Amino acid sequence: MEEDGRLRLGTATLRSRLIHGTGKFPSAQVLAQSIAASGAEMITLAVRRLHLDGDRRSELEGLDLARYQLLPNTAGARSADEAVRLAHLARAAGLSDFIKVEVVGHEASLLPDPLATFEATSRLVAEGYTVLPYTSDDVALALRLAEAGAAAVMPGAAPIGSTLGVLNPHNIRLIIEECPVPVIVDAGLGAPSDALRVMEWGAAGVLVNTGIARAGNPVEMARAFAAAVEAGLLAHGAGLAGDAVEGRRGFGASTPAAGLPVG
Amino acid sequence: MGDLETGGQLGTEQLRIRLGASRLYVVTDDLSPLESLPALVEAAVAGGADLVQLRRKREPWADLVDLARSLRDSCRRGGAIFVVNDHVDLALAADADGVHLGQGDAPVREARERLGERPLIGLSTHTPEQALRAQLLPLDYIAAGPVRATPTKPESVEVGFQQVTAAAQVSRVPVVAIGGLDEGASAIEAGADMVAVVRAVCAAPDPRQAAQRLRREAEAATSWRWIRLNGESRKSPPGETLLELLARLGVERSGVAVEVDGRIVPREHLATEVVCEGAVVEVVHFVGGG
Repeated sequence: MEEDGRLRLGTATLRSRLIHGTGKFPSAQVLAQSIAASGAEMITLAVRRLHLDGDRRSELEGLDLARYQLLPNTAGARSADEAVRLAHLARAAGLSDFIKVEVVGHEASLLPDPLATFEATSRLVAEGYTVLPYTSDDVALALRLAEAGAAAVMPGAAPIGSTLGVLNPHNIRLIIEECPVPVIVDAGLGAPSDALRVMEWGAAGVLVNTGIARAGNPVEMARAFAAAVEAGLLAHGAGLAGDAVEGRRGFGASTPAAGLPVG
Repeated sequence: MGDLETGGQLGTEQLRIRLGASRLYVVTDDLSPLESLPALVEAAVAGGADLVQLRRKREPWADLVDLARSLRDSCRRGGAIFVVNDHVDLALAADADGVHLGQGDAPVREARERLGERPLIGLSTHTPEQALRAQLLPLDYIAAGPVRATPTKPESVEVGFQQVTAAAQVSRVPVVAIGGLDEGASAIEAGADMVAVVRAVCAAPDPRQAAQRLRREAEAATSWRWIRLNGESRKSPPGETLLELLARLGVERSGVAVEVDGRIVPREHLATEVVCEGAVVEVVHFVGGG
């Protein structure tokens, strides 16, 4: 997956491990400057109806989309069918096979629907898409998504837009360590230190939107996130001293494994 | 259709369905004596008028209430819609199916508040801007005209069929072409859903026969197709391709995706695929997102 410090996802090779969201920015100009400051090579987008009359200006108008690896999302989908449809529309609009599967299962928190996420991922993989599913911090589900052919899995650190940071560090770390495909931590990363932490653990990348878009100075914050991501990548490569300590995150069953009436 | 046959009042939804299927709209003139109007309207409805508008500029509206009630009953018996011109008060007093307003009459919102949701509201438009602005109002149809100079409205400047087409291109509600029309096909082919006439029926030697002919001509004309475009009702001229539709909306082919009836249309097919009646068309593009 990684050669010369680069991250390979489908047909894309990324030097920057920071994926930049494009929602909620104060202006098209700030968005363009923020992406430039972050050094991001991959940006996320959403698919929506074109306004038929009146103002058609978009927050994306200052961007040359051809310069980036586009990662359209299926945000707004409430079922696997809706996610697949949005993926089809995104491919038709952008002529790229990359898709971030996002199926909301709980409106208030925007937490993903695990079953629909899995189904949409499987179907889109079968159709030849490079699928990056947004998932919860559920370890087994992340593994199943990898098994289903996801190019990377994207567990949320915290609910979308919450900027709460890594709510379940234990699970996120376990996903990073156990997943056979790159893990890109998505959603809820509010501060560069949050991104730094997951990168230190070995995340392949992070996706940040609100943490930059709603910062006091988004452009400077984009730079800060980029530096944190870079530091975390270096730190993981160097090997954290604490990781040498045995039993640091030990766990074991309370119920005996022996004597199970199978086999 | 039970209500139509028994001459009862159509419900809110039924009235709009009836409006959607309408082709011929007859407006009474100012020259015929008031007492001749019941027979005239009955003949027009028998000939196929879908809508009748009582339009009298000279009499005060209060003098028209009894006449309006009798025309309303006559229209209901014949399965036609009955509206009055200008006066919300008259529409209310006569329990008409709606009111037709001019640009200078009571504002549409005010009329809607007073009438409630059932009665139809129509609005005259004379420019593309007026037709576009009308889309934001709680109304049920717009009129576009005068297509030709007409003695009925000597002060108005004729705007031609271009105004009908311009209105059709932006309207989510039926478009009624009006002004000096004496034929049924031309306005429908320009994008109108209905042809409105005054003299062509009211001054005809045989109003019933005139209505019959106009209705038949309008029916036989190739009308524009109604489609659902991004969740809104819109009209598309016969034979229009998806690429032409995009161009009309001012949209470039790159950067958008087009879906028709749940099926993505490949970019290279946009120039050849023709928009069909009832098509559900979605045009999407990228916006900011996380």
